[in-house]
Amino acid sequence: MRPLTEAETQTLFAKLANYTGNSLKNLIAPLDNSPKGDRYVFRIQNSRCYYVRLSLANLAVSVSRDKLLSLGTCLGKFTKTGKFRLHITALPILADNARYKLWVKANGEMPFLYGSHVVKAQVGRWSEDCPEHQGVVVYSMNDTPLGFGVTARSTQEARRLDPTGITCFRQADCGEYLRDEDSLFATTN
Amino acid sequence: MAPSRTSTVKNKHASKHAANKSGIRNSKTSSKPQSDGVSKSKKPKGKGPPPKPQKSAGNLATLKKKRRVYTEKELGIPALNMITPVGVEKPKGKKKGKVFVDDRESMLTILAMVNADKEGQIESKMMKARQMEEIREARKAEAEKRVEMRKAKLDETKEGIRKKRKRPSAGDEKDDTRIEAAAGTRPLKLKKKKSVSFA
Repeated sequence: MRPLTEAETQTLFAKLANYTGNSLKNLIAPLDNSPKGDRYVFRIQNSRCYYVRLSLANLAVSVSRDKLLSLGTCLGKFTKTGKFRLHITALPILADNARYKLWVKANGEMPFLYGSHVVKAQVGRWSEDCPEHQGVVVYSMNDTPLGFGVTARSTQEARRLDPTGITCFRQADCGEYLRDEDSLFATTN
Repeated sequence: MAPSRTSTVKNKHASKHAANKSGIRNSKTSSKPQSDGVSKSKKPKGKGPPPKPQKSAGNLATLKKKRRVYTEKELGIPALNMITPVGVEKPKGKKKGKVFVDDRESMLTILAMVNADKEGQIESKMMKARQMEEIREARKAEAEKRVEMRKAKLDETKEGIRKKRKRPSAGDEKDDTRIEAAAGTRPLKLKKKKSVSFA
């Protein structure tokens, strides 16, 4: 377990900023106003990046690297080429700070959770002024976050789209908790 | 090549035998030239030592002083005299390995940079989308204009055709009167027409 380097921090923030926008600052804001107050930090363990409270990270130092499986919230993993891939486990953090949102109707919930993209007929609402290829968090109509994706068209263009046209490309959905159960969490080293 | 080698071997034996005039291999005459070479090499060594210390006494002191001034460490010459690529050689006096970013301030600066970058990207995307939208609307308006123009032209031509039709219909009426008049004058032709209409 180690903190992130400068390059890694930059890639991670660039990825998160796709979905969160300006409210990303809240992620690293101190929890209380005291000078040595607790705050959230990012830690890497086995190429996976974790969002964890500093006090917990300090405690985890006592666990050897090869024995430590996971701590805090897993945001995703760094690929061998140095890119960052977000996991579905980062959804609660993204949903709290989401900039652009998309709500799917009841008829679109299950297809999305089974891994398909969102077509226009399934969209209940969407954020206005959303550009093309922008990260969005997908919610059900009762504001339950289901996953996240990337817009296929801008909002203006999507209005003219036919009902079967794809509006949002799926990146991750809650169905992955079941589908990728084996690979989602590091169970062995 | 092989046969020539064998020949050389044979020649060697021949030459040895030739050198050994006595014909015995380990005789003194045969070993003499070897021992001579060794003795010759030894001789200069034996002679060498006495003059050397005389020369080094003065020169070595000066050489040592010079060497102390320019040691390898001071020159920064690598231990092995190999070519090292530019990127591989690490700067001196710096931390080995990765430099971590864990304090809040540096994280915030990186965050601000990334955010500004993303904002710019989104803004440019929106601008592009707006421009495209404007272009599309302009095209739409143009297309509508063209359609209207075509419609107007079509209507004009239709009107023109209608007017043209009206004129020949007036002429027909005149024709009919003529026929009637003709019928009045010539009853035979009318009979023929009746028969045609029946068929």
